[in-house]
Amino acid sequence: MHVDPKKEVAKSRGGQIGLALLLIVLLMAIFAPLLSGYDPLAQTVNSFESPCWAHPLGTNHAGQDIWSQLVYGARTSLLVGLLVAVLSTVLAALIGTSAALIGGVYDRVVMRLVDAFIVMPIIILLILLSVYVDPNLGSGAVIGIEILIGIVIIGMLFYMVRSLGWIGLLIVGPIIVLVILSRDLLPGTGGLIIILSLLCWQGGARTLRAQALSLKEKSHIAAAHGFGAGTWYIMRRHIMPDLGPLLVADFVFSVRRAVFLQAGLAFLGIGDPNVVSWGSMINDAREWIFLDAWRWWLVPAGVALSITIIAITLIGSALESALDPRLRGEVSAQN
Amino acid sequence: MLRIEDLKVSFEGEHILRGIDLEVADGECLAIIGESGAGKTTLGLSIMGLLNGNTRGRIALGEMDILSLSEEELRQIRWNRIAMAFQSSQNRLNPTHRILDQVAEPLIAHGQSGKAQARERAAELLGKAGLAPEKFSHYPHELSGGEQQRVLIAMSLVSDPELLILDEPISSLDAGSRMEMMGFLRLAISGRTTLLVTHDLSTAAKLASRTATLYGGRIVELGPTDKVFSIPRHPYTRALLRSYPNMTTMKDLQGIKGRMDRRVTGCAFHPRCTQAISICREQIPTLSNHDGRMVACHRGGIIPALSANNLIKSFGALKAVDGVSLTLEHGETLALVGQSGSGKTTLARMISGILDPDTGEVFLERSKSDQQGKDFHRTVQLVFQNPGEALSHRLTVIEAVREPLEIQGIGTREEREEMTRKAIAEVELPTNKEFLEEYPHHLSGGELQRVNIARALVLNPKVLIADEPTAFLDSSIQAKVLKLLMNLQENRGLSMLFITHDIAVARKISDRIAVMKEGRIVETGPASQVVTNPYHPYTQSLLKAASELHSNIEGPD
Amino acid sequence: MLTKQNLITYLVALGIILTLNFLLPRMMPGDPLMAIYGDEALVQMSPQLKAELTERFALDQSLGSQFVSYWAALFRGDLGYSYSYNAPVTEVIFGRLHWTLLLGGLALILSTALGVLLGIESGWRRGRRIDSGMLSGMVGLSGFPDFFLGILLLLLFAVNLELLPLFGAEDAYSGLSGIERLIDIGEHLLLPLMALTLARITGAYLLTRNTMIGVLKEPYILLARAKGLKPRTIKYRHAGRNSMLPVMTRTGIWVGRMVTGVLFVEVVFAYPGIGLMTYDALTFRDYPVLQGLLLISALCVLGANFIVDLLYQKVDPRVSYAR
Repeated sequence: MHVDPKKEVAKSRGGQIGLALLLIVLLMAIFAPLLSGYDPLAQTVNSFESPCWAHPLGTNHAGQDIWSQLVYGARTSLLVGLLVAVLSTVLAALIGTSAALIGGVYDRVVMRLVDAFIVMPIIILLILLSVYVDPNLGSGAVIGIEILIGIVIIGMLFYMVRSLGWIGLLIVGPIIVLVILSRDLLPGTGGLIIILSLLCWQGGARTLRAQALSLKEKSHIAAAHGFGAGTWYIMRRHIMPDLGPLLVADFVFSVRRAVFLQAGLAFLGIGDPNVVSWGSMINDAREWIFLDAWRWWLVPAGVALSITIIAITLIGSALESALDPRLRGEVSAQN
Repeated sequence: MLRIEDLKVSFEGEHILRGIDLEVADGECLAIIGESGAGKTTLGLSIMGLLNGNTRGRIALGEMDILSLSEEELRQIRWNRIAMAFQSSQNRLNPTHRILDQVAEPLIAHGQSGKAQARERAAELLGKAGLAPEKFSHYPHELSGGEQQRVLIAMSLVSDPELLILDEPISSLDAGSRMEMMGFLRLAISGRTTLLVTHDLSTAAKLASRTATLYGGRIVELGPTDKVFSIPRHPYTRALLRSYPNMTTMKDLQGIKGRMDRRVTGCAFHPRCTQAISICREQIPTLSNHDGRMVACHRGGIIPALSANNLIKSFGALKAVDGVSLTLEHGETLALVGQSGSGKTTLARMISGILDPDTGEVFLERSKSDQQGKDFHRTVQLVFQNPGEALSHRLTVIEAVREPLEIQGIGTREEREEMTRKAIAEVELPTNKEFLEEYPHHLSGGELQRVNIARALVLNPKVLIADEPTAFLDSSIQAKVLKLLMNLQENRGLSMLFITHDIAVARKISDRIAVMKEGRIVETGPASQVVTNPYHPYTQSLLKAASELHSNIEGPD
Repeated sequence: MLTKQNLITYLVALGIILTLNFLLPRMMPGDPLMAIYGDEALVQMSPQLKAELTERFALDQSLGSQFVSYWAALFRGDLGYSYSYNAPVTEVIFGRLHWTLLLGGLALILSTALGVLLGIESGWRRGRRIDSGMLSGMVGLSGFPDFFLGILLLLLFAVNLELLPLFGAEDAYSGLSGIERLIDIGEHLLLPLMALTLARITGAYLLTRNTMIGVLKEPYILLARAKGLKPRTIKYRHAGRNSMLPVMTRTGIWVGRMVTGVLFVEVVFAYPGIGLMTYDALTFRDYPVLQGLLLISALCVLGANFIVDLLYQKVDPRVSYAR
């Protein structure tokens, strides 16, 4: 399978729209302080101000500027989405390919676990975990998470740049900028990021394992075995590079899922109340649905969330159809 | 009657069929043969109106022009009047429906009969096609490829179509099942207008009364099946026959040089053709009648590369060659077999222009040749019997091989060097400095003969005359040199006159054999025929001698 | 298809949930009773109840004996006691489960059926305007989270147009019965059902469409055309039927996802199923109810998967052969 994901995505109309939309959200997240005039948590004036020059979307029940909350909400969604995707894709790749290559008991045990998690009602599990696991991490844990994320992102940078070229830098670069800018969010979301990552890698592991298994049957890998190559070497030199496009697709869908779940949990009021997010905005606004405020409070937050998810979906399906040869060009001739 | 006129099919700018004209008479079976990718299946599908590509021309079934029909009108005639036995392949049958239902489906869909009746008919045909009754209600994945093929054949007959298209009907069957299926197919197609599409020549030979050869989207030869197969007239048909493994020829298999390329201009076959001339590169030949055979070839089919007419040579009172005429066709290997003293070598030397005949003429292609001209020597080259003698002991390997180029004054120094090295590499000899500067007495017999062959090839001849080239070699080296000669013939498209006293060697490498005795040719014919069914007593005695040698090896009686 | 492999999967899933249920509260520092029930509950609990609960779950003993009594209680169907409902957890959950089954089940059936149908039509017309229109519509729809879609529907139909009821599963104390009650229940069901169906339809649609496109290139479709079958027959009998197969295998996973959707939609519409109950239990810190809910919903999901496995065998003849 030789697919150039960057070309395929850039070629498709949906992929272009998706990339453009996501870019807007990303810019919003990165330049949040410049775009908004207020601290999203600071009580500025009175509650329930209607939109005016100073507050383009008015203020909420606590007198906070809604526009600022909307802009900073992009940070939370993208930070959680991207970091969970990074961590879970790495987990999926390591576990999926190792299961395929090592096989035997290890493979069977891992795959049963994967299947078990796939059929589990994740959201209720998350709720239960949130009850028992303190969402506010101590400073030690935060530093641990930062180091972990740093290592993983640098590794990913190397991999992406090597397998995708300059476009890899374009994908990873903004993530790094975002993580650095949003470091203050990590204490409030770090725990969530870790838990979501632990619950989101299974689907990816399954597809990657299947792909690795079919790659393993290819004769160039058998040939490498014949030259005495070990499992790690084969994984590094032959399997991982060939999995590139699939990894990117898995990454994109993980982002989507994590954004979804983060918003959902925030909507249920789970998580650090000091983290501004679109989900919690919708949750707050829902209480005041009989006031007109939902027009500039609830709807913008929901639309921003939906646009983000749609953008990611568009990119994802462009990738998916690029990867599925059946969905690409027509069969030319029947001979 | 099916009539196809100037049918052209292209997919996304790629031309698959480039103008097919064909007629299949009522009740006749016509075979279309050709290698994969020639457009055979496309032809079948276009007759059913199933192509999505750009289709032009006319396909008439009776009075009806299929290409002008609407999709709904096409639907009405599909499987009603025209049915096709598809080639079995992965997912050819719908995996979620039972076999019997799938076979009966067209009858029910066209309202030809009720459900129960249709199933009965389907069961009857499945049985005749050799599928075990307990498998009728199976799903496709429970059947082997061969069984699925039987299902597809039964399905094609279920609505008793007036035109039947068979697409590789038995290619996926094993040998035993083929026999069985062949009987059933013969019955099924008798009296039915049938178009058989296959790369399997034996199927065509057994079922079809006429055969057309398809190459590069055009028909290149068309004629009665037995004639086409015994005396092919288009170089491509001959090449197909030559590369088809069968029990009638003794010769080793030979492929066709190069590969099919749809984008060539002129005759599609010319890059692979041994007798191509400039017009072949420029113009597309039309299918026309040449001596009773329809052939699409600018040269009218396979032509003689070289022919000799009534050659006579005497040495004093001895008539060494006494009125020999023979023809060497383009791209073929003709073995001249005879005992020592039968005049073989004299004949070879006259043909190659080394010796002047007393009377008689030698023709290159169809024109009388000037045997003294340099052009003649560029076209015809000789490999001598005794490799050691044929090389000057004062010349190194590279000098010996380069000599003809220098004599002919071809190319610059560098070009000659390059051509020489290429020729040496082609005969599988090393091209390092040490070897190239060896003198003949340091080389083994096999190496010497290879140097001789390289020297003969360096001028790029069309005809190679090999005079007992392996007589001085022991048998394992002989085998290697013979293989080399056959490969060279295939890759370069040489015409080869191979002179030998050993009929066993002749039958392994030649297309035709001419037997020579006392200065005359006493028998000539296709190698298989001469070996299995010789009519001249001398040939019979040669064969007997050869087989006696065999029984001696196996041990005394 | 039901295999040993799938059975093991289900057992593993169940095992993980039970282990988490047992361990999570007991890993917390301090009094296990407090960890299980929360400090607010403890304040309100009578000493007798405390003593009874401690004894029932052996909370004053070693982890090992706690484990034994945990399992013993499970087999009795005893999932503990809910202080906020003042009733045993099992009773509380089963008192509301039917609403969730009604909403979630209907939404699953509707979204799958509609998705498959639209997917077949869309794939059949691949590349034409109707297909690309449907495709963009579906991708857009899938971007709306369940809860946002629900709120939008609520705002439009219930708040602004006032066509449909705002919350609940039926009008309380209305005393309706028979047909009238059914209509009332239907009216309450309509909006949450719409929200869930719309939010979940894309999965089935996309999968069917993509499969359909692939299937239409299969050799047996060419054969079906050659047979002179009507386009309708080819579309449904030959292509459509086979395009449904991957949807079947995925239904099991969608059942799991449906739980999430039901939870959010029930919260938005205050629909009294176990989704809303989860939310309430979270708000009131009613931990035993949360734990029970996790177990019950997991059992529902696994049960649904089990049924899907059994059914799949009937639809795809290749399955029983393949293993």
